[in-house]
Amino acid sequence: MIHLNGVHFSYEGREVLSGIDLDIASGEFVALIGPNGAGKSTFSKLLNGLNKPTQGTVTVAGLDTKKARTSALARKVGFLFQNPDRQLCRSTVRDELLFGLELCLTDKADIQARLDKTLADFHLDPALNPLTASRGERQRVALASLMALTPQLLILDEPTTGLDWRECMHTMELVTALNRQGATVFMVSHDMEVVRDFAQRVLVLNKGRLAADGTPHEVLRRTELLSDAALLPPQIMQLSLSLGANYDDIDTCEEMTESLIRRRLEK
Amino acid sequence: MIDMQQLSFRYESAQGNALTDITLHIPRGEFLGIIGPSGAGKSTLLSVISGVIPHHYTGDFYGACVVNGMDTVEVTPTDLSRVVGSVFQDIDAQMVSSMVEDEVLFALENFGVPAKDLDSRVEEALATVGIANLRHRSLDTLSGGQKQKVAIAAVLAMRPQVLVLDEPTGELDPASSQAIFRVLRTLNEQGTTVVVVEQKIMLLSAFCKSLCVMDRGSVRLHGTMREVLAHPELLREIGVNCPRVATLHEQLLAAGLSAGPVPICVEEAKAMVEGVLA
Repeated sequence: MIHLNGVHFSYEGREVLSGIDLDIASGEFVALIGPNGAGKSTFSKLLNGLNKPTQGTVTVAGLDTKKARTSALARKVGFLFQNPDRQLCRSTVRDELLFGLELCLTDKADIQARLDKTLADFHLDPALNPLTASRGERQRVALASLMALTPQLLILDEPTTGLDWRECMHTMELVTALNRQGATVFMVSHDMEVVRDFAQRVLVLNKGRLAADGTPHEVLRRTELLSDAALLPPQIMQLSLSLGANYDDIDTCEEMTESLIRRRLEK
Repeated sequence: MIDMQQLSFRYESAQGNALTDITLHIPRGEFLGIIGPSGAGKSTLLSVISGVIPHHYTGDFYGACVVNGMDTVEVTPTDLSRVVGSVFQDIDAQMVSSMVEDEVLFALENFGVPAKDLDSRVEEALATVGIANLRHRSLDTLSGGQKQKVAIAAVLAMRPQVLVLDEPTGELDPASSQAIFRVLRTLNEQGTTVVVVEQKIMLLSAFCKSLCVMDRGSVRLHGTMREVLAHPELLREIGVNCPRVATLHEQLLAAGLSAGPVPICVEEAKAMVEGVLA
């Protein structure tokens, strides 16, 4: 789905990304983490063609982003900005969803079917004005407008920032459902608990380079590497790391509880 | 330090109350975290403490809020701002200068601090938050975490007795978020009363002395961190996450293991696990 080959990217002569090689297969759920200013948003925008590599190639869904038209990429790639207000432009949810559908599709029956399904899936009121809705609702409308187009790749730039816990869980459940239906998900996040709970693969971006690539278990327990990238392991991983090598395989509350019950019985 | 008595507020042209019958006492030297779902009234509560409500945002205001002996309705926001320093959610909206030093000087000059004291007040404020080296930098060259520290320093230069902050770590990485809370803890230890709205429960539990949980304009829980986190089911019902160590405590109790009091940080959770196996 995504291939980066020897990618460098510079803003006004300042190199932000240096020599990135990466392959992401179709259907993966990948999280990109790193300190403020590491270039995570810049990296994300390479994947929908908003940024073109200064050197090297980026191929997304079979399209070379330097050669493909942005509109061709937009049909395959959905991009959720950190701030949903950057992508909402209509005064009702119905018009907001129709905006993208009518730009990308011509079959009126298909457009209507997608509109109805999306409104139902996201429990959205078609008459709601997204511009005056709460932050969580605006985020949901922005995500719904992307999902209506059933993108092959969904890029999410800090999708849970500014949301309360319930809104955060709801957003992540919707994203997970789309991933289960086959979409590839690429998510930038600062929330290590969300990354551990939902991502299958974690990339660490630091000082313009990929510093780690592995499962949440492999990457999020590397305290030195994370500390160098201004990150911390999720709380239960911090606990199991502090308890020593006998707890190396424990990442969650459930695993810790099971382990303690077993250890008590063995005594 | 801050006393709210049966306080209710409805924004002009809004249908329902943003705050309903709030009675809350925040003693001098408190480090209070406020958490709750969207629309709970958290930011509105901070606006009442700083006097932005009802002086800037008008509406129906019932009850009273007294800060350091001043009724916030009766005194001007200018008088209140000598006691209460506010750091907003959107720090870019708060910045008025292009250079760090000018940003910190802005309020000092406006409040007529004598010229001979300006230099030392700027130096002291920047040093307190650990950014003395950024004094002559342009704001647009700073990271999000650095800018947040400048916003706090600019408020601190006024030597407020109360500091209120609205989601100060929203867009910061975990290390920068912890750095901001370490600054707040230092200020609190030096005597400043700190009231901070934040969605990151693990930060609040690790740093704050007490926690206030709001929901639909009301205070649902208020107490020490341990007292509030001892109600995981109610917190979930309200829509507030528990720190994972508190969830672990709940699961151990459900499994019939004697886990002792609820832990509020990793070090306490480690002691809890060792206790379970002792």
